Amino acid sequence: MGKPVKRPEQSLSERAFLPEVAKGLTLTASRFFKNTFSSAEKGDIATVRYPEEQREYPERFRGVHRLTQRDDGSPRCVACLCCSTACPAQCIHIEPAEYGEGDPRQGYEKFPKVFVIDELRCIFCGMCVEACPCDAIRMDTGMHMPPALERDAFLLDKELLLSLPAADGSVKSANPRHEPGDKTHPGIDRDRSGH
Amino acid sequence: MEQEQASAAPQPIFTLDGREIPIEPGDSILKAAWRQGIEIPHYCWHPGLSVAANCRMCLVEIRSGRVMNLPILRKDEATGEFVPATKPKLAPACQTPATPGAEVYALSPEAKGAHHAVQELLLLNHPVDCPICDQAGECKLQDYWHDNQADLKRKLTEPVHKPKAVRFGETIVYDAERCIMCTRCIRFCTEVAKDPVLDMRERGNRNEVVLAPGRTLDHRYTLMTEHVCPVGALTSRDFRFKARVWFLKTAPSVCSGCATGCNTFADFDPRQGQVFRLRPRDNPEVNTFWMCDDGMLSYREVHEQRLLGPQQRSQTGVASIPIERLYTEPDVVLGEALATALKGDAPVALVANAALSTEDNTALLRLAKALGHTRVYLAGRPAWEGDDILRHADHNPNRAGVEAAAGELGITLTDAAELVSGGARFGGVLWLGTEHAVDVAALRQATSALWVLGTHLGDLAAAADLALPILSWAEQAGSYTNAKGIAQPFAAVIPPLAGQPSAAALLTLAGGVLADLNGAEPTPSASMRTSGVSGGAAEGQMEAAQ
Repeated sequence: MGKPVKRPEQSLSERAFLPEVAKGLTLTASRFFKNTFSSAEKGDIATVRYPEEQREYPERFRGVHRLTQRDDGSPRCVACLCCSTACPAQCIHIEPAEYGEGDPRQGYEKFPKVFVIDELRCIFCGMCVEACPCDAIRMDTGMHMPPALERDAFLLDKELLLSLPAADGSVKSANPRHEPGDKTHPGIDRDRSGH
Repeated sequence: MEQEQASAAPQPIFTLDGREIPIEPGDSILKAAWRQGIEIPHYCWHPGLSVAANCRMCLVEIRSGRVMNLPILRKDEATGEFVPATKPKLAPACQTPATPGAEVYALSPEAKGAHHAVQELLLLNHPVDCPICDQAGECKLQDYWHDNQADLKRKLTEPVHKPKAVRFGETIVYDAERCIMCTRCIRFCTEVAKDPVLDMRERGNRNEVVLAPGRTLDHRYTLMTEHVCPVGALTSRDFRFKARVWFLKTAPSVCSGCATGCNTFADFDPRQGQVFRLRPRDNPEVNTFWMCDDGMLSYREVHEQRLLGPQQRSQTGVASIPIERLYTEPDVVLGEALATALKGDAPVALVANAALSTEDNTALLRLAKALGHTRVYLAGRPAWEGDDILRHADHNPNRAGVEAAAGELGITLTDAAELVSGGARFGGVLWLGTEHAVDVAALRQATSALWVLGTHLGDLAAAADLALPILSWAEQAGSYTNAKGIAQPFAAVIPPLAGQPSAAALLTLAGGVLADLNGAEPTPSASMRTSGVSGGAAEGQMEAAQ
């Protein structure tokens, strides 16, 4: 019973064993020296010397989150909680608050009093960015989350998220935004209807 | 049963999309369908308000009777030519009476096309600011967009801008851009609240809801205008920006504000164990569709000024006791103190409370019966101003329930004010609840000891020798009997805030401890511990807490 396996033919040097050991060690040693003194940049080898050398990431790489800013430096986020609703890892915690008396946005717009992302829980799926209706949260920093020893270091708060720039250095988004009461608002209203 | 059916005239029916719908006298098509739980899309129609028929969302096709067909030009897709054709004249289902045998279609291509067109028109100038709108998630514009439009906006120009965040009063904010002019709020103020403070101004693009000159929205039912608003135009200043509705869960409850006992939905966030709002639950026998502002805002009492740990008063002042002692040394905290007072000469008074559930009060009344009392005092919140719409002058939800429970046990109820005015001197007073309408200083003069089993901080809890925390209506199931004598159960909404026991559990425990201290004779109170109303559940709760 059983399938007969044909044994490979072996030459004399292979059967002698030691010459083959020497051949293998020679190959290993030649690779060692080649890998030590060459680099991926020159195209000699396929691997990179991380972390000294890093591969270039694709343009749409999803890195650490950031919050985009308005012209006055305040967050574009309106605390709608769409991102934390969409988040499958439930890593986003937001507490909404209302703008103070005298602010033109007071009354009908809110802002995040607390905005915390737990980067340890985050699975970097990008659903929050997809869900955001205000282009307020982005993952275009091009950064990995830097390693740390404490868990608290992975809880990124609002101030830190707002200060992180995009990979191109900007802190805003390219999409323009009309603030309430802006003269840039076209359209008809009670004051401009001539009525 | 069969005889009844045979003798009664057959109920007239009409068909809606092939389904038979029975007709009550005076029904419109929409209302008859609504009774059967079938929703024809609508904005301005509300079962509790008059018919306005101005949103035109509920247009249906009626293919029976005298059908009117309108001549139109329809584009022939093959040739690109417009050719003469006819289409049926649609009728608003909210205003058209349901006639026996009528053949109505709300899902026909013509009707669906009308729903699509009306929906597109209503959203033409809508700001689509759902992210910052508190109606998002329970908005009819969103629901009907999904059901009837589900299409991109075709209008490319900037929408018309209107006043935003207009304060109508202390409770309501108005956003004219989101308003679809259904006039539900206006009709509510005029017809139900009997205070026509809202009206409409201008037409077309400049149409908006305005206040009567010199007025604010300040009657007692202002939050109902927000409740009837099908979109986010009117929002409650109390609820806005606090939570997103899709995170909230709902439990059926009963308002504890007055003796009307309006049925409510309590919306709470299960992640934080926090109640966020109350909404009226339809009950034609009690509150129909409505609630008053004070009732809607009474959810706040669940989280504000709560007594969350036992407090003991000594010569040095009021000190907190760890809540675990309620479970580890119950004889110290309640039973022994009560037993000592009972052994003295001066009488001990037990006080039931009309603001607490029948279950809590029954435990106290049973303890009273086990102790041989025939008289129990009845406390409650002081009366407030009622009206002839919903508010009852009795501020307590359960006076009738306590009276019925006392009657069953053969116990006489006396107003708690007589504790103070009667001139008698007491060895101790065991007060259920922290709601009261007496002078606390005079009460302390009339008794040597005061124990309070209550939910809230306040002058009574501060004056007590021992104040123990109990569960409020939001944390335990129970029932209230309203002024009409209808016993209404309510569900537990959130878990206990501080792991405190229910009043029934504490009183059952006290009864058991008293039995042990008095020589372990089998008294009714001892048996109550195992077979009482809530004894079993209460002990299970305590085991869990330990």
